[in-house]
Amino acid sequence: MVELRDGIKVKIGLEIHVQLKTSSKLFCSCPTDYRDKPANVNICPICTGQPGAKPMGLNSKALEQLLKIGLALGCGFNHDVVVMRKHYFYPDLPTGFQRTSRSIGYEGKLGKIRIREIHIEEDPGRYELRQGTVDYNRAGVPLVEIVTEPDMESPEDARLFLDELDAILNYLDAGRDEPGSLRVDANISINQQTDHGLIEGTRVEIKNINSFKGVFDALNYEIVRQNNVLRRGGKIERETRHFDESTGSTVSLRKKETEEDYRYMPDPDVPPILISEDRILKIKEKLPELPRQKAERLEKQYKIKQDGAWILSMDMNLAKLFEELVFKVESKGVIIDAQKIASWIRGPLKKQLNYRKITYAESCLNSEWISDLLVMFFKDELTDRGAEQVLIAMIDKKENPREAAEKMNLLKSKDQGEVERFVDEVLSSQKKAVDDYLAGNEKSLNFLIGQVIKATKGRADSKVVKELILKKIKKE
Amino acid sequence: MSIDSVEEKIHQKLDLIKKKDHEINAFIEVYEQDAVNQAREVDKRIKEGKAGPLAGIIVGIKNNIAIKGKLLTCGSEILKTHHATYDATVVKKLKEADAIIIGSLNMDEFACGSDGTYSRIKITKNPLDLERVPGGSSAGSGAAVAAGFCDATLGSDTGGSVRCPAAFCNSYGFKPTYGAVSRYGLSDMAMSLDQIGIISKDKEIVKKVFSVISGKDEKDQTTQLAENLKKEGEIKRIGIPVEFFESIDGRIEKAVRSRIKELESNFEVEEVSIPTLKYTVPIYQLVMAAELSSALQRYDGLRYGLAADRNDELYSAFANVREHFGNEIKRRIMIGTYITMKEFKDAWYTQALKARERMKIEFKEVMGKVDIVAGPAMPMPPWKFNEISDPLQLYAADTLTIAANLTGLPALVEPLSDSIFDGAIQFYGRHFDDFILLSFD
Repeated sequence: MVELRDGIKVKIGLEIHVQLKTSSKLFCSCPTDYRDKPANVNICPICTGQPGAKPMGLNSKALEQLLKIGLALGCGFNHDVVVMRKHYFYPDLPTGFQRTSRSIGYEGKLGKIRIREIHIEEDPGRYELRQGTVDYNRAGVPLVEIVTEPDMESPEDARLFLDELDAILNYLDAGRDEPGSLRVDANISINQQTDHGLIEGTRVEIKNINSFKGVFDALNYEIVRQNNVLRRGGKIERETRHFDESTGSTVSLRKKETEEDYRYMPDPDVPPILISEDRILKIKEKLPELPRQKAERLEKQYKIKQDGAWILSMDMNLAKLFEELVFKVESKGVIIDAQKIASWIRGPLKKQLNYRKITYAESCLNSEWISDLLVMFFKDELTDRGAEQVLIAMIDKKENPREAAEKMNLLKSKDQGEVERFVDEVLSSQKKAVDDYLAGNEKSLNFLIGQVIKATKGRADSKVVKELILKKIKKE
Repeated sequence: MSIDSVEEKIHQKLDLIKKKDHEINAFIEVYEQDAVNQAREVDKRIKEGKAGPLAGIIVGIKNNIAIKGKLLTCGSEILKTHHATYDATVVKKLKEADAIIIGSLNMDEFACGSDGTYSRIKITKNPLDLERVPGGSSAGSGAAVAAGFCDATLGSDTGGSVRCPAAFCNSYGFKPTYGAVSRYGLSDMAMSLDQIGIISKDKEIVKKVFSVISGKDEKDQTTQLAENLKKEGEIKRIGIPVEFFESIDGRIEKAVRSRIKELESNFEVEEVSIPTLKYTVPIYQLVMAAELSSALQRYDGLRYGLAADRNDELYSAFANVREHFGNEIKRRIMIGTYITMKEFKDAWYTQALKARERMKIEFKEVMGKVDIVAGPAMPMPPWKFNEISDPLQLYAADTLTIAANLTGLPALVEPLSDSIFDGAIQFYGRHFDDFILLSFD
């Protein structure tokens, strides 16, 4: 986190481009799955701008996805979609202009961040600068552009906003979730709060950041860079910069003395598309419970901590898992605080998922098996370590929890005698540790307990082992 | 149906073309083998009683309308060697109706011109007087009909480019209501003005071809209202705008007024006024240039046509390709780019758009009182080659035809006699009254 001087206020606004989840492109029926495809196979005269080709009707699924997003962001709506031509020359632009609409949704809000507007536009193709080749498979894929007001005051704010937006897109199944599906342009200015008011800084734009972490890093870098320039008495230039993922720094692209003139013109080939109030209402009715609402409800309904509820709600599948587990664990006869389940998900489950760099949905786990595991755990049939081993077997070997527990002999040893034997063995082979403990070293006790647990392959209860060790040592 | 088979008819036409077209230069490509093959197919279907409505009709296509696998030059250097990768909707429809497509026809570069002399491929001559222009921009379409090479030709009409060659070549020329015919496959000149039109010596053939090529097409969103085409209706009242008779060649005015007199015996004829017609040419020049500059942005040498030099720096590469546009095109691109820039938009383009709306309103008022308006098609007869060099003079030639494109109204040009010096009469109808316009009188 960057430390700012007193009186410095950072203003950040984001323009987020997300590929909408549709099977066809925005103005033609070419498929939208371009990753792992040979170049220039998902193309037709329309999306390659052949002489004479014209756009077909605006993809209604794309519009529906956009309306869902707009509703989730609390936007008002303009009732006609006017598609404009935005003119510039670039190899990835097949017609020499991009089709982009006037704003469709406007004046929304997500948390404390206001949404200025959202609109629809075509993705250009992919230009390989070094090889001088262009692949038009991506040209014409539908994008939603979400423009925020500069209400974010730190890179952290930006990150939280993007996380929640991402969760919303997931819940709505409205956005594609593949590498490159989401691109962010970040605008940042450093302003000084003085006694005379706010002195506005110069706005710098950082274009085409491909990851959330990238946004966070780019903004942090910019704050440091701009701070340094100002400290040295320099001036911030109004410019566009590029974020280099490999070095974590921003690089100047071009100076923005004047705004580029795209000569926007309503596209004569695309008559305005009307959105009826009725259509919007129908879509609104079918919206699922959204992350923020879900977090509030989970907190209230299950009496779990706010930050835990939030973390669960950021992942639709985890939130679902949580509620299913609460129900299933109880129906299998274990009465327990929902908070314990939430903590288990946040702790041991997340640990294994993060280690394998997968999401819950990718793990092939299911709530039925997990509830069985938790039942065993909460009934004290498994130790912490044992439960962990079982979970690992469930993920990696797709084994049923009860079978895995039995196979690995993890069910807590009820046989006191067996544990006692291991305690005796350890105490006799670890004489130095025993002496150290008796001399006052508490750590040696933990060491001895650990040795017994190890010997029992995690099946012994650590509390019981401690009691036994202390009993036996004191005897001597 | 004549006793000649379609195949025999095609051979006759092909012979005539071989004999005469080297003089006239109507064609870019003659599809000799394709036409013969198609003709054989059609003869078969006629025998089986399965022939389409245009069976035996021989059609030429202006070379800015895409035919799969055939040269689509648009009369330009840049597309001189480009072959279309798909069929335009109208071409598909013609084929399905069993018309024979005999070849592609010469035109002014990217449809910008009124006499055919702006073609970068060849110069087409007027078959009725080889020292004179055939009209433009669908120069080959007019000439091919006048020379008897085709029963009908398709052209494109943005400011009169079908009706001008029709008038100059003494044939019927028809520009449909905007949106009645799909533009999918027509290289854009000005998207809100362009329509594909028909030229023929026989009005019935114009009607038949229009019947086949018109209709809603999901590949051209501006045809959504095509189902509004009326099948029937009556013409009772004809309006004669005073503005249509300003600065008209004396002989043409005489011939047109004489025709109007004839019409007075069957129709109510009255004088009307449409003041905005005074601004026809400037409105058109601005609106058309703005849209043309957008339409031609795609020519960067990367995907088709004249190739960009890979060793060039990016913007130089684009500029070097676009250097191959003719001067008239460059002129119009520069004007169109200039007037759509933020600083200058309100001074020119916005005003032109407002004036266009004004014209539409005035026409609507007048068409509420009369069913069609009439006047001369062209203010002068076809000029001799090199007689007109000033572009502004050329622009003025379109003054009577442009309003139909600005308003989207259908317009029909009808020859008055065998002489090109008598000119032609032009009728504008109401939106979607196309069939009625083609049937009256």
